[in-house]
Amino acid sequence: MHLTHLNTRGEANMVDVGDKQETRREAVASGRIVMQSETLKLLSDGELPKGDVLATARIAGIQAAKRTHELIPLCHSLALSKVSVEFDIDVAESCVHVTSLCRLNGRTGVEMEALTAVSVACLTLYDMCKAVDKNMRIEAIQLDSKQGGQRGDYQRINAQAPIVTGDGMAGEVSLGERCPSPCVRVKFLAELRERLGESEAVVSLDQLASRDIGGLKAALAERDSRFKQLTDQRTLCAINQVMANDDALVTDDDEVAFFPPVTGG
Amino acid sequence: MDIKLDIKVAIQAAPFSMAYGYDDALAGRSDIGAVVSFTGLVRDFNETPDVTGLTLEHYPGMTERTLTDIGEQAWQRWSLQAVRIIHRVGYLEPGDPIVRVLVASAHRREAFEACDFIMDFLKTQAPFWKKEHSTQGEYWVKERHSDQQDAARWR
Repeated sequence: MHLTHLNTRGEANMVDVGDKQETRREAVASGRIVMQSETLKLLSDGELPKGDVLATARIAGIQAAKRTHELIPLCHSLALSKVSVEFDIDVAESCVHVTSLCRLNGRTGVEMEALTAVSVACLTLYDMCKAVDKNMRIEAIQLDSKQGGQRGDYQRINAQAPIVTGDGMAGEVSLGERCPSPCVRVKFLAELRERLGESEAVVSLDQLASRDIGGLKAALAERDSRFKQLTDQRTLCAINQVMANDDALVTDDDEVAFFPPVTGG
Repeated sequence: MDIKLDIKVAIQAAPFSMAYGYDDALAGRSDIGAVVSFTGLVRDFNETPDVTGLTLEHYPGMTERTLTDIGEQAWQRWSLQAVRIIHRVGYLEPGDPIVRVLVASAHRREAFEACDFIMDFLKTQAPFWKKEHSTQGEYWVKERHSDQQDAARWR
């Protein structure tokens, strides 16, 4: 496996697609913007100050897909044969799902165009609604499927399930919280994360009666009674990725993970 | 050569070959007399009868460290010449290889035992978690007492 946008010297490089066969290519990307339920209602009722939000965001997404090559340095400019941007208002999740389909007959894939359309449509939704809601969150922008091209078709499987937790996946940047005072960063993994409904927490060392794992568990349990289940004897713990027990000391900037018994292999 | 640790571990979402590690471990060597490998596959029955797939989560960083540590323990315990461990993460379907351990040694007994040891410790110490998807829904796989007993044999 290699990166086609790097040449043999590792420099950025636009791929020469002149010799590739023209084939029918299609890509579908999606994302969502989460907002307060009141904002979502204003949006669906057409009562936001900037007017028809969805129509504007649709046009913005389509325009953006056509201009992808101006935004992404090594993208070719493509004569798209179709761009669609669709919205699905989800009251239960209090969000708008955005889906884009891009298609062309050509020599290079259209996933960047579909991803750009979704991104810009989400940004436009944000812009149109920000007067009433600053807490909106743009999430889960991803390629769902692509067809055509020499590398074959792609279909995202099981898109909602987390594959990994924690830092360190190649190409991913962790935007972990920084805290001003000495603190520990806590992660909850696998089933424990789902039971707690939390994946991360930051606890200031000042909040710990004793600066060890036992003290950390007590401070979390005080914050919220759900964390009392951390004292279950089958909940395991690691400090900076090394197994630890209740007496193990914690210091500033430690990464502490709590997780259930392991079940690999 | 056999004093230098030759242990490689890999975690990946992509499938791996059933021959993974063999050529790499044996390349340029003629002192290896035995190669034992274990490959674990996804079954279509486990806690429920109709498993359609599973999602494997892990703790990046700690996983690699733990597997290397298990390999080193085996290296100290037996006279080994190569250890290769690969484990998949992400979404897998019944029949997919999920884990493979390969141990090379001068003699078969050491290779058999070290491979068995590595699998027992991988199952009870390496931070992987399986969520099974079945026709009845999805659930996290529970730890098994027999796995703990298997690992305790080596203490």
